[in-house]
Parts: sequence; C-alpha cells; structure tokens
Amino acid sequence: MAGLSPSERRLQKELMSLMKEPPPGVVVDVDLAEQNILQWIIQMEGVSGTLYEGEQFQLQFKFSRKYPFDSPEVTFIGANIPVHPHVYSNGHICLSILTDDWSPALSVQSVCLSIVSMLSSCKEKKRPPDNAFYVKTCNKNPKKTKWWYHDDSV
Amino acid sequence: MGNCLKRATTDDISLLRGSDSVRETSSDQLGPSPYQETLPIQAASPVYHPSPSVTRSVGQLTEEEQVKIAKRIGLIQHLPTGTYDGCKKARECVICMVEFIVGDTVRYLPCMHTYHKSCIDDWLMRSLTCPSCMEPVDAALLTSYETN
Repeated sequence: MAGLSPSERRLQKELMSLMKEPPPGVVVDVDLAEQNILQWIIQMEGVSGTLYEGEQFQLQFKFSRKYPFDSPEVTFIGANIPVHPHVYSNGHICLSILTDDWSPALSVQSVCLSIVSMLSSCKEKKRPPDNAFYVKTCNKNPKKTKWWYHDDSV
Repeated sequence: MGNCLKRATTDDISLLRGSDSVRETSSDQLGPSPYQETLPIQAASPVYHPSPSVTRSVGQLTEEEQVKIAKRIGLIQHLPTGTYDGCKKARECVICMVEFIVGDTVRYLPCMHTYHKSCIDDWLMRSLTCPSCMEPVDAALLTSYETN
C-alpha cells in the first residue's frame, strides 16, 4: 500500500475488513469504493423483528482527506429513505457521533452499527417534527447543520 | 484554575521526557508513517482546529481560540511519550489502524490508552479527549497529578 496517504491507507484497511467481516445486513459496494476511496455506497437491510424488516436502504459515506480526524459525511440516498424520527426525508441523519461526538477511534463499521441500532430501536415510524422546514432550508452537507441532539431514546 | 502550564520546571520531570514541540515532524521515524497534516500549497502557514471540524489558519483564529490552542499545546507537552516495547496490551494504533512496531514513538494518555505520538497529537490539537474512551485528557491529567 505504498504511495497512499494515511487517510487512504486507513480507508483501504477498513474496506478490506468490511468486505471480509461485514456486520449483519451491511454490504459495501467494493468496486465503487475502489474507484474512489473517498466515497462509498453501503447497502443496509432492515433488521428482522423491527419496524424496518424487509426494507433496503442505501447509505453514502463521503470522506475528507483529513479522515479519521474529520468525521465522514453520512447520508441515506436512493428511493427508500427510512422513515425515522432522526432521519430527514432528504437523507440527513441526526446522530451525534457523525459530528460533535466523532472520534478517530470510530470507523465505517461502528457508524453502520450505530445506524442499524438507531433504526432497530425505533418504536414509531415518523419523520422528525421539523422535517419540512429543515429539508427546505438546510445545507446540502449535513455536517454544516448545527444539530441539536435532543433525544437519546431512539 | 491558575496558569499552571508555563511553569514546566516545577513539574514532575519524568512527564517531560521527550516533550518536544507538538508541531515538530520527525523525519527519521521508521515504520508506518502515522498521520501528518498534509498542506497542499501554503505549507508555511500552519492550520489549527479549535474544534475537530473547524479549520483555520493562524490569522483567522480569534483571541479565544488562540488561548484554547495554546493551552492545548502546553497540556499535550505534559503527556508522557515513549518507545513501543512490544507490550501486548496495545497492539494497534486505532487512529491509523496500523500495528505498533517495536521502536515506534508512542504517547500514553492518562487513561493508559496508547497511540502513535504523531497520530494522537494531531487529534489532541483538535480535541483534548481520548479517542477510545472519550475521557477528557485535561481533567484526567490533573487528577493523576493529585493522586501521585
């Protein structure tokens, strides 16, 4: 892996381990990630026994050259955006580890596990209360949003 | 809390071992090259991160941010460093995800989590927390002074 920057080297390692030992229901598009290591697409399956059973979601991860010091930009994309109190209809996710509580010891795998658990613990499928306003006014990059983490229960 | 960062001479000397400048780059380092900020063009002007997601050049820092960063630099210098000796407890630097090699320069946080010196310094310059346990490094350092 000579000639790679430290962030590329770490991302290559993460890609390999996610490919070999993915968390249940999580599949990374390896070809796409190998074309551009700074942008990944991950398929996520709704866990059986939860409100999202049988659903398929797509997550997009964008990394900056400062990864892992800088958190990845993570959004749901595609036709099926999960209906969840912390997921806006434009795919933005209100999850503190993606901004304020990010740590370089976290990884794509741990972010995926957090999102799976966030979905799995949901009791009622609904959009965030401010969805319409947020989606109209927000920046394209969810990291530019000053999130207010008000609810840890789901 | 008083201004205790400047008075290095009265502190425990063992903590000051290898307390070289935080921005210094060690070119003679062997093994995996841990993280170093790569500055594309304006390499001469260092950038700072008052918080992990904020990047500013020296000229853009507010006075408050300058103080914050100066305190950080002072505190980082008080954290012990050493050379990786093959200790089985720490095998991999979780920041670069590269296994430690005997001889690597490492830094120990008060919570005893160990990282490559350049990897953790790069993070501590953004946030004074341990990446693994999220313990605030400054509070833990003060506690370790009191108990020892």
